[in-house]
Amino acid sequence: MDGTFSLLMQGFAVAGTPENLMIALIGCFLGTVVGLLPGLGPINGVAILLPIAFAMKLPPESALILLCAVYAGCEYGGRISAILLNVPGDAGAVMTTMDGYPMAKKGLAGPALSMSAVASFCGALVATTGIVLFAPILAEWAIAFGPAEYFVLMVLALCCLGGLVGDSLPKAAIACLVGLLLSTVGIDSNSGVYRYTFDALHLQDGIPFIVIVIGLFAVSEVMLMLQHAHSGVEPMAITGRLMFNMKEFMLAKWTMLRCSLAGFFIGVLPGAGATIASAMCYASERRMAGKDHDFGNGDIRGVAAPEAANNSSANGSLVPMLTLGVPGSGTTAVMIGALTLYNITPGPTLFQEQPVIVWGLIASLFIANVMLLALNIPLIRVFVKFLSIPTWLLVPGVAAISMVGVYAVHGNTFDLILGTVIGGIGYLLRVMNFPIAPFILGFVLGDMMEQNLRRALSISDGEVGVLFASPISIGLWVGALAMLIGPRLFRLIEQRRHAAAEAAGTAG
Amino acid sequence: MSERIFGGILLIVSIAGIWIARGFEAPFSYEPVGPRAFPMLILALLGISAIALMLERKSDTAWASPAVLKRIGLLFLVVLAYAWLFDKLGFILATVLMVIPAARFFGANWTQAAAGGVGLGAGLFILFDRLLDVALPTGLWLGNILG
Repeated sequence: MDGTFSLLMQGFAVAGTPENLMIALIGCFLGTVVGLLPGLGPINGVAILLPIAFAMKLPPESALILLCAVYAGCEYGGRISAILLNVPGDAGAVMTTMDGYPMAKKGLAGPALSMSAVASFCGALVATTGIVLFAPILAEWAIAFGPAEYFVLMVLALCCLGGLVGDSLPKAAIACLVGLLLSTVGIDSNSGVYRYTFDALHLQDGIPFIVIVIGLFAVSEVMLMLQHAHSGVEPMAITGRLMFNMKEFMLAKWTMLRCSLAGFFIGVLPGAGATIASAMCYASERRMAGKDHDFGNGDIRGVAAPEAANNSSANGSLVPMLTLGVPGSGTTAVMIGALTLYNITPGPTLFQEQPVIVWGLIASLFIANVMLLALNIPLIRVFVKFLSIPTWLLVPGVAAISMVGVYAVHGNTFDLILGTVIGGIGYLLRVMNFPIAPFILGFVLGDMMEQNLRRALSISDGEVGVLFASPISIGLWVGALAMLIGPRLFRLIEQRRHAAAEAAGTAG
Repeated sequence: MSERIFGGILLIVSIAGIWIARGFEAPFSYEPVGPRAFPMLILALLGISAIALMLERKSDTAWASPAVLKRIGLLFLVVLAYAWLFDKLGFILATVLMVIPAARFFGANWTQAAAGGVGLGAGLFILFDRLLDVALPTGLWLGNILG
């Protein structure tokens, strides 16, 4: 415990240098803006900024501080458009529209915004404390993992995400598998064999990660925005008081704390991200409120619950990424990509080999959240101005900045064209409701998965049983299977029960 | 229907991929698992998933109306041309040429589109190339002017 504290202090020393403080502040501001613009979420923000940070030759810890500040900022920004426009700025803020927009219609936009900012802060603070307490323990435990356990762990991560995202199991499976498949393109590092390069010089080192991420998320978004182009919705004006009062705070305080704690644990689970956490917390708070509530018509607890939950789960999802090197969500997968761009091997040894980076990042989360709270309450009117950027300027701007990001890494036309083509394919896949996060996770984990599988089988001399040998790996297999089937089975039972209840209702 | 067609394409891709993977042989090897096992495993699972997708009854794909789809296709071509010209014409000129039609697709009038194009092209160039040290292509024409 003592050791943790002194390491955390070291982290503050790293994050507290004037340069890194400035970077965190810029990241918070950009993150909030990216978060509040409908269509752009944390994944786009992180994906576009990563190559730019790399090209600016920021040291790895500063680059990660920037990315984490953007990530944290997005979770704050999403609520602004949810409350004022009834359009969630990012996926985690969907539930915030339920009570946030009705509050704004009643002229309570100010209290809704300030309460949700405080709830966001509470969630992030609880979750960051959780990271400090649990991450070192988990990392120490994970060091005992052999290649076989690692392989199964990655199977589990893919199953979790695939099992929870989207409605169709084949679609989620296809997304994972195509991601894994694309990761095999290039020269095989063990044998030097060329795989699926089709004699293209640029494919020898594999498809660059940045090209995939920017193509799939940013370029395809440009086309999706044209499909969903909505116009004529004016943001609600902020009138009256800006702050919530004591009565509202007392009503929401336990809600915030409960949802922060629950959100953290949901976030730690691979696959279950901010969207699921906020939906679950909103539903359970609504149930717990009993009869005496105004949920759905502008209850202050209805904005506090999802905002506390989505921020704490966003921070919680950094735990598996930092301790196991196995990301559980799309955005953390992109961050793993950032580590590999800097030649840092993610995994349980990260805590020992790169304490500066890990603890600097954790400390910067504390700092970033204080900054975000400070930015988001008094400066809220400044951020609201960004909602009036016209789409015709925003979308070409996103396209141009995306291309800058791709160009920043290798500076060749091949990557730009590849990214655009991938973006076109990504658009088709997204219209067909293929989940994209499992795809990115597959692509990021593919190489590690193959290496660990081959290592495990080398140790056992080709005996496949090694994958099922230790109790840990058996436990992980069981978990993977349960995650793949469980959520769908649960939904099916729920539907049956609904159908039965309805049938009983009409009969009676 | 779109799911069926896509599943069929994926099935063909996975069979072709396995066919290609047969040729991945290490000239000499020290390990029991060579370079082709993992891709083949993935492709086999992909083939199975593709069949499962084709057998699924429900479809939740909502394509945009033909008119919108046509505009999306044109927008894609604009971005593709942008990617191709990015290095050749330089960032500023290529961006102006991309922004003008793209902004028109999103309902800007000609004046707005032209102003947006010049603003974004020059503004982002100054921001990234000059202020943030992210080198962008200037293109020959600007290089000649700047000397």
